[in-house]
Amino acid sequence: MNDFIYKKIERYENLLREMWTASEKYIGTFSVKLLVERVVWDLSKEYREIELLHYNEGMISCAEIAASMKKNPNLPIDDMFMKFITRYVEILSRLIGYENTDKIANWLNEEFRDIPFDSKD
Amino acid sequence: MPANLLLSVSLKYWQNFQDTLAKVMDVNIYIFDINGGSFSRFSRDIEVCQKVNKGEEKICNENCIRFYKDILGSLEDKGVFTCPYGIRLYAYALGTYAQKIGYLIITPARIKEQVGLEEENTFITKANSIYKTVNEVLKAILEKNVLGLRSLELNSIYEISRLLTSTIELEKVMDLITNSLIIIYKAELGFVGLREGDKIRVAQAKGDHDHLFVGKEWPMVQPLIEKFFSKVEPSFLSINELKTLPGLSGLELNSENKIVVYPLWTSLGAVGLLGIVFSPDSMDDNDKRNLQIYANFVAIALANAKLVSRLEREAETDFLTGFFNKRALRNILVNELERTVRYRVPLAVIFMDIDSFKSYNDTFGHVAGDVVLQKTADIIKESIRTVDIAGRYGGEEFVTILPGTNEEGAIAVAERIRKSIEMYPFPHRKVTVSLGIALAKISDSVDSLFERADQALYQAKREGKNRFHLDLS
Repeated sequence: MNDFIYKKIERYENLLREMWTASEKYIGTFSVKLLVERVVWDLSKEYREIELLHYNEGMISCAEIAASMKKNPNLPIDDMFMKFITRYVEILSRLIGYENTDKIANWLNEEFRDIPFDSKD
Repeated sequence: MPANLLLSVSLKYWQNFQDTLAKVMDVNIYIFDINGGSFSRFSRDIEVCQKVNKGEEKICNENCIRFYKDILGSLEDKGVFTCPYGIRLYAYALGTYAQKIGYLIITPARIKEQVGLEEENTFITKANSIYKTVNEVLKAILEKNVLGLRSLELNSIYEISRLLTSTIELEKVMDLITNSLIIIYKAELGFVGLREGDKIRVAQAKGDHDHLFVGKEWPMVQPLIEKFFSKVEPSFLSINELKTLPGLSGLELNSENKIVVYPLWTSLGAVGLLGIVFSPDSMDDNDKRNLQIYANFVAIALANAKLVSRLEREAETDFLTGFFNKRALRNILVNELERTVRYRVPLAVIFMDIDSFKSYNDTFGHVAGDVVLQKTADIIKESIRTVDIAGRYGGEEFVTILPGTNEEGAIAVAERIRKSIEMYPFPHRKVTVSLGIALAKISDSVDSLFERADQALYQAKREGKNRFHLDLS
């Protein structure tokens, strides 16, 4: 697997970590964990590899997902992570409102310009 | 429904859940399987149980085993029993009428020789709430019968049970419950209404249009609210029905959404309601059943909060006069002394005792004595400003705390109280009081200030009663 994929996964990992921290301020650690767990459970029907995402108290790790790419180099990681983000944001906006979600989205859009992030998707 | 608890339920998970519930509700809990064999362990230690069971966590004493076999064998639904070692316990059959799956035993966390009626009723309320929760969670686990509930449902239930501690945590519990409804069940909206006298006030709402719900007040006599509380089961409504609630006429929801409202009942009566709006395809039958667990949690949290606030209020109030009691007076005086030191404002304390009250009581009876105490409290209240604080220190002793009051002002108040009582036509005979006045010093503690006021009071008694004495030390 080339470095480009590793870098990409690392970038998603950073984004998920920032999402965690930003949401935590609004809904607390436990609800964020529950939300991540829910989205993983939901998405695992389509991408079993998402179950390799490790998370606990603000620590999100995609290391096992990256490792699994050796066996399955054709995993469409962009699609998997984008679906994760979209589903996460969809539920988050119900919890904290569209305005607050937009604030988080705008900030993340600036930080991660190449990853489109829209709370109204 | 499988009946073997040990085969169907992870005991480790269950024990954690049970122990947390026992801790937050301040009770002891244990569960027997359908054959009367121990399933879970004691959640908390009871000294006498530990002794007779030789420190074992499960029941092993022959006397106890025989006792439990007897009572559980004859238990229909629920019952109150006293064990051979004098522990009062509340037993409930778990499962459904059609299929019993075990028995729940709830006992006080500590053994007391005498328990008042109020305390007993409070305990029954707690025990009934615990039974409802335990039964719902067990039923949900057994009916799913794979690994129990989904792991995220278990986590959420566990976390909520951990938070069910006090009034302070009520907000957190409601927050977590509405969050869980949206995250786990993809509810579009969740709201919790608290009963406040003759109305329901929406204290928490999350999801689409939540701003339309928060703070709304709905009278208990409103037809839809009456309908919710006319039964114990949840009500399923249409959008148009929901819009008949005051303040919701402008609500715009998909007409195919499902709306369910759970009335929250405890032994204290109706304590509130939990409302959930779902999109048409997001709730199955299992979800509906599991949602009842959340409704029970909200009911417990609300009942707990009500009990706590009532106990807190009672703990600070003297039942007979409605005045602050000794404990509350001491707490108040701590703050007033701090203010005195910080802002250098005067502070006076008056200790007052009804003269020869014992002989009044002995001669005319306790009822007549209580009338004197109540009227004395009324007279004190009428003789002081709204910023002044009056309390019953115990027996026939009263304390008045006068913030911002100097020697002259304190003497005027003491004399006003003394004269008003002397002039009042109490039944049977004239009643008089003696008063001791002390002014706070920078170096004073609550004890030293009370002590000086008390000494001044005794000086007034020594000088012939029906007078005040000012502490000059």
